[in-house]
Amino acid sequence: MPLRGIRNAAHGLAYYSRLQEVTANNLANASTDGFKVDRLTGRMLDGQSYPVPVEHLDLRQGALRQTGRDLDVALEGDGFLVVKTPAGERLTRGGSLKLDGDGLLTDGEGNPIQGERGPIILGAGKVEIQGDGTVLVDGAPLDQLRRATVADPGQLKKEGAGRFVPPDGVKLIDAEKLLVRQAQIEDPNNDAVLGMIDLVTIQRAYAANVDALKAMDGVLGTIAGDIGRVG
Amino acid sequence: MNPGLRTSASGMKAQQLMVDTIANNLANVNTTGFKRSRVSFEDVLYETLEGARTVNPQDSQTLAPIQIGKGVRLAAIARLHTQGAPEQTGRTLDVAIEGDGFFQVQKPDDTIAYTRDGSLSVSDTGALVTHGGYRVLPNVTLPPDVQDVTISPSGIVSATGAGGTPVELGRIELARFVNPSGMMSLGENLFGETAASGRPLTGYPQEQGFGRLLQGMLESSNVEIVQEMTDMIAAQRAYEINAKAIRAGEEMMQATNDLIR
Repeated sequence: MPLRGIRNAAHGLAYYSRLQEVTANNLANASTDGFKVDRLTGRMLDGQSYPVPVEHLDLRQGALRQTGRDLDVALEGDGFLVVKTPAGERLTRGGSLKLDGDGLLTDGEGNPIQGERGPIILGAGKVEIQGDGTVLVDGAPLDQLRRATVADPGQLKKEGAGRFVPPDGVKLIDAEKLLVRQAQIEDPNNDAVLGMIDLVTIQRAYAANVDALKAMDGVLGTIAGDIGRVG
Repeated sequence: MNPGLRTSASGMKAQQLMVDTIANNLANVNTTGFKRSRVSFEDVLYETLEGARTVNPQDSQTLAPIQIGKGVRLAAIARLHTQGAPEQTGRTLDVAIEGDGFFQVQKPDDTIAYTRDGSLSVSDTGALVTHGGYRVLPNVTLPPDVQDVTISPSGIVSATGAGGTPVELGRIELARFVNPSGMMSLGENLFGETAASGRPLTGYPQEQGFGRLLQGMLESSNVEIVQEMTDMIAAQRAYEINAKAIRAGEEMMQATNDLIR
């Protein structure tokens, strides 16, 4: 019994140190445009006596903030913009877009943002992006930003720089209800106060597991050292 | 070692950068034609501990992948070219642009720089120059006996000489860019063209989407003190919270160390 208890406590420690890392990452991204927090919870699975960490992506909307920069793009609602990276199509919540030397519209890292007709090349002129993603240059429609999502956004993986990777073989579906907001930025959807509380809870729970482990170790010591003693 | 420590350290570094940028914005709250900067951050690589997996084959229960993020890094510092409030100065050669566009000026090395700072003056040869002494393009030369200069909203410069009749001397041209925040700051309120800003498109004020000129006015800085101060407080708090996360991680490591007697 104490041996199993030690194993359970060790799983508990591993779980809480993962949780601490995830919380630290959420807090480190307290000012990251379009950031979506990760939530790690423990789940009891059949036949197991310790929690298995389960992570899910919290895709709730972040607050929109006006920047006045024409190439800042925020999204309102469920869905993403599509960006083409050397490794394939990725999803993004927008952000500070840029132009490369040829006038190609890209994300912050230079990956082309996809329109309904492929990459978008903006000539010189005043850029207007409408709610449905239509891009106009000097009043003339040029293309429409491709708005997409996947059937189960919970299965998206992150790869950094605000990009989400659709699972292998999963088709992108249109996200027609998604609104595109020009000259705005989506704030991260993390809550610093909750994060603070999480940190304290994690630390205490970790300490409790350490104490449990020590107690179990003491019981084992008694069994091995005292009960087994002869005479 | 707890990898969360490094993550939190990157968070502290990011907030430090945020405070530095805000401090520079605040320092330029009275700089003519100054455009505030905004820092943007991005999340960094994620370590995938376990991919998406099925735990109960009977009821095909699947769990999402477990990924641990490694913190944050700087994505860009973009200058926000929004309009600053035009401020009345009453000086004849102060010109503000209301709307899109930059004055074009010629640097001594013959390259062209761009500015929104229209505090102009007249050089010894009669040319219109910026306060840094750079000639405004296209060249407008004022006659030596000039008494009064008018600059119309559409950029036409006319002067009244000793004769008393106004003479048209030229027209100021403006340039604009698709992505002005991609321009490079050259100091002295000047900006330079880069690959990211796109090619300059030139035209006359009040035409093809260019702004109009306001004589006797200067464009003030677009920094808003209240906004910068709130951002500063938020950055300070976020800095503290990341420091606390380091403390929490450190205490957890300490607790683990205490296990070994």
